[in-house]
Amino acid sequence: MHESLSIRVTTYALLAIFVFLVAVPLFWMVATALKSNKDLYEDFSYLPTRPTLQHFVRVITREDLLTNIRNSFVVATTTTAVTVVVSAFAAFSIVRYRYWGREWVGRLILFKYLLPTAMLFIPLYTIVVAMGLGNTLKSLMLTYLSFTVPFCTWMLMGYFRSIPPELEEHAMVDGCSKIGALFRILFPLSAPGIVASAIFSFTLAWNEFLLALVFTSDHTTMTIPIKLSMMVVGDQYIWGQLMAGAVLASVPIAILYFLAQRFVVQGLAAGAVKG
Amino acid sequence: MAIRHRSVAVALPTSARPTRWPSVRTRESLGGMALLAPTLLLLLGLVLYPFCYAIWLAFSDKTVGSPGQYVGLRNFIYVLSWPQFSAAVTNTIVFTVCAVAIKFVLGMAVALVLNQRIRARNFFRAFLLLPWVMPAFVVYLVWRWLYDPLAGLINYALLDIGVIASPIAFLSDRSTAMGSVVVAHAWRNFPFYAISFLAGMQTISQELYDSAQVDGASRIRQFRHITLPGLYHIIGVVLLLTTIQTANAFEPIYLLTGGGPSDATMVYTMLVYVMGIMNLRLGEAAAVSTLFLPLLVGLVLGVTMLLQKKANA
Repeated sequence: MHESLSIRVTTYALLAIFVFLVAVPLFWMVATALKSNKDLYEDFSYLPTRPTLQHFVRVITREDLLTNIRNSFVVATTTTAVTVVVSAFAAFSIVRYRYWGREWVGRLILFKYLLPTAMLFIPLYTIVVAMGLGNTLKSLMLTYLSFTVPFCTWMLMGYFRSIPPELEEHAMVDGCSKIGALFRILFPLSAPGIVASAIFSFTLAWNEFLLALVFTSDHTTMTIPIKLSMMVVGDQYIWGQLMAGAVLASVPIAILYFLAQRFVVQGLAAGAVKG
Repeated sequence: MAIRHRSVAVALPTSARPTRWPSVRTRESLGGMALLAPTLLLLLGLVLYPFCYAIWLAFSDKTVGSPGQYVGLRNFIYVLSWPQFSAAVTNTIVFTVCAVAIKFVLGMAVALVLNQRIRARNFFRAFLLLPWVMPAFVVYLVWRWLYDPLAGLINYALLDIGVIASPIAFLSDRSTAMGSVVVAHAWRNFPFYAISFLAGMQTISQELYDSAQVDGASRIRQFRHITLPGLYHIIGVVLLLTTIQTANAFEPIYLLTGGGPSDATMVYTMLVYVMGIMNLRLGEAAAVSTLFLPLLVGLVLGVTMLLQKKANA
C-alpha cells in the first residue's frame, strides 16, 4: 500500500513538472503577443497586465503577414491535394498488384522517407533555378512533393495492408473492376488513414523551412516561416509582433490537430511507427 | 471412350489458357505500373536525379549560372583542410548525441508517467504532445525570445529568484550556445519518443506485470525485465530514425544561433547552407554533404532493415 502511494506521488509530481516545462514556452508565446511594448521592455511582468491586440494588428498591417499566410496556405493545400491522390494510387499499386520491381519501389520510398532534405537542397536549388522557377511558389509546390509523397505512400501502404484484400476480391467476383474496388471498397474503409496522411502532408508543407528559405527571396513569395525568421534580424523591439505572428502560424496546425487527433494517432500507429 | 472425350473437352480451356493467362498478368502489371507512374517519376526527378547530381557537383567547380567542369578531388581536399569542417563534424556529433540522449530519457519518463492510471490521461497525453504538434520554426523563435539576454523570460526569472547576478547571453556565449540549442531542440522533439514508447508499452500484456507483482518484483525490476525488453524493437527504430533527423537538423541552428558564436554551433547542414547558398560555392557545399553521406546511408539502411524485418514478421 505504501509503495503504491509513493508511486502515485512520484507520478503526479513528475507529471506536474512535465506540464510546467511544456506550458511555460507556450504561455510565454501567447503572453508576449498580448503585451504592450511597455510591458515587454520596461515594466517586466509575468502576466500581460494590459492585454492588447496591437501586435496582431501591426504584424498584419505593417508586415503584411496575411500575404505570407496565404502563400503558405496555397502551397500546403496544393501539395496536399496532389500528394493524397498520387500516394494513394502508389500505395494501392504496391500493396495490391503483383509485378516485377514492386519491392524495390517500396524500398526506394522508405529510403526517401528517411533521407533528409538537407542532403538534397543544393542540387534541388540548381534544378529549380535551371527550370526558371526561382523565387516562385510553384518551386515549393513541386519540391515539397519529394518528401510528402514518400511519407504518405509509406503511411498508406501500412494502412492498406491492414485491410483484408478479400473484401475487394468479393467485389471483383461480383463484377467490379480492380480500380472500381479501390474506389468503392478500399478508399472508404481507409478514410481515417487517408485523412491522417492529408493532415501530415499539410503539416509537413506548412512547417517546411529549408527549401522555402533557399528558393524564395521576396517578401511577396515567402511562406510564413521565412517571413517570421527574416523579421528577427530586422528590429530590436519586434518580439511582440513576432510572437503574434507565431500564434497566427500555429493556429491552423493546432485546429487540424485537435479536429483529427484520433485519425492522426491511428494513422501514425498503422503506418509510420509499426511499419 | 465417352469419358475420354469428356476429358478432352475439359482439357480444351486449359490448353487455351497459356495464351490468355499472360495477358491478364500483363494487364495487371500495366495497371499497377500506371498507378505507380506519378510517384516513380517524382522519385526519379526529385530524389534520385538530385541525389546523383549532388555527387557530381562535389567533383565539379559549378557555380550558379555557369556549367561546371570536373575538378577531381579538389573540393574534398579544400573542405577537409578547412577548420570549419572539423568544427562541423564535432558539433554535429555533440549535438546529435546530447539531443538524442535527452529526448530518450525525457520521452521514456513521460511515457512511463502517462502509462500509469492517472486522472484525465487523454488530456495530459494531448497536452504533452503539443511541442511536437507546434511548427518547429515557431518553437525555435519562441526559444530565441526565451533566451533573450535583455528581456527574455529565462534571464528575468533567474535574476528574479536570485540564481544569477547578471543576465546570461545564452545564445551568444561560446560556453552556453550549444547547450541552449540542444535544450530547445529536445523540448520540441521529446514527445515523438514519448508517444512511440507509450504505444509500445500499451502492447505489453498486463498479465506479465501482475505475475511479477505476485513474485514480489519491484517496479524497477519490472521496468528492466518486462518493459524494456518489450520495447526493444520500438527503441531501435526510434533511436535510428531520430538520429538521422537530429544529425540533419537545420532549423534550431539557423533560427537560434546561425552557427555562431564563432562556429560554436556550426553543424554540417548549416555549413552546407553557408557555403552553397550564402557563398554560392556549390561544389564545396556538395562535397561537405557527400562526406556525411556514408554515415547517413548506414543509418538509413539500418532503419530500413529493422522496419522490413518487422513488416515480414
